[in-house]
Amino acid sequence: MTNFLQQVVSGLASGGIYGSLALAIVIIHRSTGVINFAQGEMATLSAFVCWTLLDHGWSFWPAFAVTLVLSFAGGVAIQQVLIRPLQGSPLLGIVILTIGLLIAINGLTTWIWGGAAKQFAGPFSTSPINVDGVAFSKQDIGVIAVSVVVVVLVGLLFTRTKAGLGLRAAAVNPVEARLVGVRVAAMLAVGWGLAAALGAVAGVMAAPSLFLEPNMMQTVLLYSFAAAVLGGMDSPVGAVVGGLLLGVLLNLTGTYVHWIGGELRLATALAVILGVLLVRPAGLFGRTAVRRV
Amino acid sequence: MTRNLCALVVAALALAGVATATTTGTPGVSSSTITIGSSGPLTGEAAAAAGVLKGADAYFKYVNSRGGVNGRKIEFKYLDDAYDPAQTVQNVRELIQQDNVFALFSVVGTNSNLAIRDFVNAAGVPQVFSAAGATTFGRDYAKYPWTIGYLPPYAEEGALYAKQILATSAKTAKIAVLYQSDDYGKDLLSGFRRGLGSKARSLIVQTVGYDPTTSDVQSQVAQLKASGANTLMIFAFGKFAIQSFVYANKLGWKPQIYVNDVASASSIMALDPAKTAEGSISILWGKDPATPKFKGDAGVALAGKIIKRYVPGGNPSDGFLVAGMAEAFSFVDALKAAGKNLTRKGLMTAVTHMNESSNPFLIPGVKVHTTPTFRYPISAVQLQRWHQGHWVPFGGVVSTKP
Repeated sequence: MTNFLQQVVSGLASGGIYGSLALAIVIIHRSTGVINFAQGEMATLSAFVCWTLLDHGWSFWPAFAVTLVLSFAGGVAIQQVLIRPLQGSPLLGIVILTIGLLIAINGLTTWIWGGAAKQFAGPFSTSPINVDGVAFSKQDIGVIAVSVVVVVLVGLLFTRTKAGLGLRAAAVNPVEARLVGVRVAAMLAVGWGLAAALGAVAGVMAAPSLFLEPNMMQTVLLYSFAAAVLGGMDSPVGAVVGGLLLGVLLNLTGTYVHWIGGELRLATALAVILGVLLVRPAGLFGRTAVRRV
Repeated sequence: MTRNLCALVVAALALAGVATATTTGTPGVSSSTITIGSSGPLTGEAAAAAGVLKGADAYFKYVNSRGGVNGRKIEFKYLDDAYDPAQTVQNVRELIQQDNVFALFSVVGTNSNLAIRDFVNAAGVPQVFSAAGATTFGRDYAKYPWTIGYLPPYAEEGALYAKQILATSAKTAKIAVLYQSDDYGKDLLSGFRRGLGSKARSLIVQTVGYDPTTSDVQSQVAQLKASGANTLMIFAFGKFAIQSFVYANKLGWKPQIYVNDVASASSIMALDPAKTAEGSISILWGKDPATPKFKGDAGVALAGKIIKRYVPGGNPSDGFLVAGMAEAFSFVDALKAAGKNLTRKGLMTAVTHMNESSNPFLIPGVKVHTTPTFRYPISAVQLQRWHQGHWVPFGGVVSTKP
């Protein structure tokens, strides 16, 4: 029983990381309609920026804040320079472009910081807290808490502010949005900036436990896609819940289903993607698109 | 007319024959250079091992600055495969077919070496002193005559840890094993099991594998802790080895840890939480410059000098760099023995007749010794224990001969 609870707790800790990156994927999808394959590498790049500031003696929270601002600016810049010229062309072209971006950013981080794993001192203590034989740390709680806070903020932004309405409108129907006065081009740029900043949160939260290196988020990205599909591609709440569920599911199947073991985790995540797409394509929290004809 | 055409064709073929004859010779060897190639993880989760190639490269540059080998300078070209065997295959094809290398030297990683072994043996290109310790590289020479490893065989390393456990804690040990689920981790695990013999069933309480493409081993470590074990074998690599220490610490678990050779460089261990790493046991065969025992050692001093000169930004206490130099030293020895009239066959003869006791980068008592039927260049090691931030060798040098 202790092992079961321990696996659930560890799963929630890993799932918090999957969820926070899934959140970034969902935001960019919801506000621009694009699936961004470079999201993981962007998050890693942000984590490296934060690491560099920490390495120069900054304390954590100021470094984190500056990283968020820089990441937002970076996301806007990527949209303006690379994505904008392709706006209006088939979506596939933009998706392929993000794959190119993945490779380019990975090369850039390796070139600047080298490939060796680096220690990343996070804001939360990693010393164990033991409750009835189940061990976890403040870091695990911190990662999940940060995801929850972020999802609430994002939810408020999308549903309670004019900017959020504009973001949604620009993604769903850019032509009509422009007609009613939404600055679509600006909204798309803000969407990318927002996703980059959320990715930065994911990267910085992941780095203390995964160890920082250029490929840190590559496998996480796959788990995050699974989490996003599970929760629903257009639901921020779904992304985080999907991440947490997936983390627990992977741990439990890995521990108790003998032939899956530690080796087939990734395959299990892919099975989740397939299963959800077959049974409930909109995901747990997503809305099914209905079109009146 | 037809006859004339035939004659022309014959003449052309003859000329072509003459033309190739003049360039025939040993591939990759000219009167002034020997070109050799390699592939390894310069990036990615195993990038720490890139030090092996950088260290070897630095040593070759040092040898070149002193006149080279038999009047030839060594040109060492190594490519990045990010620890992905598919990429290694690409790299090795490029090295053999485009760069026309004389031999492959110190390709890093068990899976990478396995992936290229059939191809390079079919092509008759030496695959020499691979930076990989799977037993097959020393054992299966009848099928793969062009391949030879360097590191002590992993299975014997596993057996050695088993022997140490039987000698110190046979009555109390409850053993959990984390292993990389490929030929590398499984080789260590099978040797470990064999070493425990009939006790394996009762002493090992849990084994858990992980796929090297995974993001972390948190769940695996939690599972091993839950088994109630008091001894943890880490047969892992790179960041997964570091994560094991960190997660064990996070779970408040303090087992006696054994960590395999290639995951136990001081630079990696130093990243671990001191509380968990303290008392861990591993092996050594090359001199680790971060080990206080080798302070002032002539070999380590030479390595430091070479790193300073030829590895820009290199850390003089990086054990991977020195391991690479040890391999390069043996390779230079083999090239010398292969003589002025260098051929691929001659190199293979030389590497299978090694009797080198002068390698300054190996610990005292460890010699490089091979015969055509015994192809484990390093077959002796010493145990070491992590104490207050560095490794302390203990006990004598012991054999890892299969």
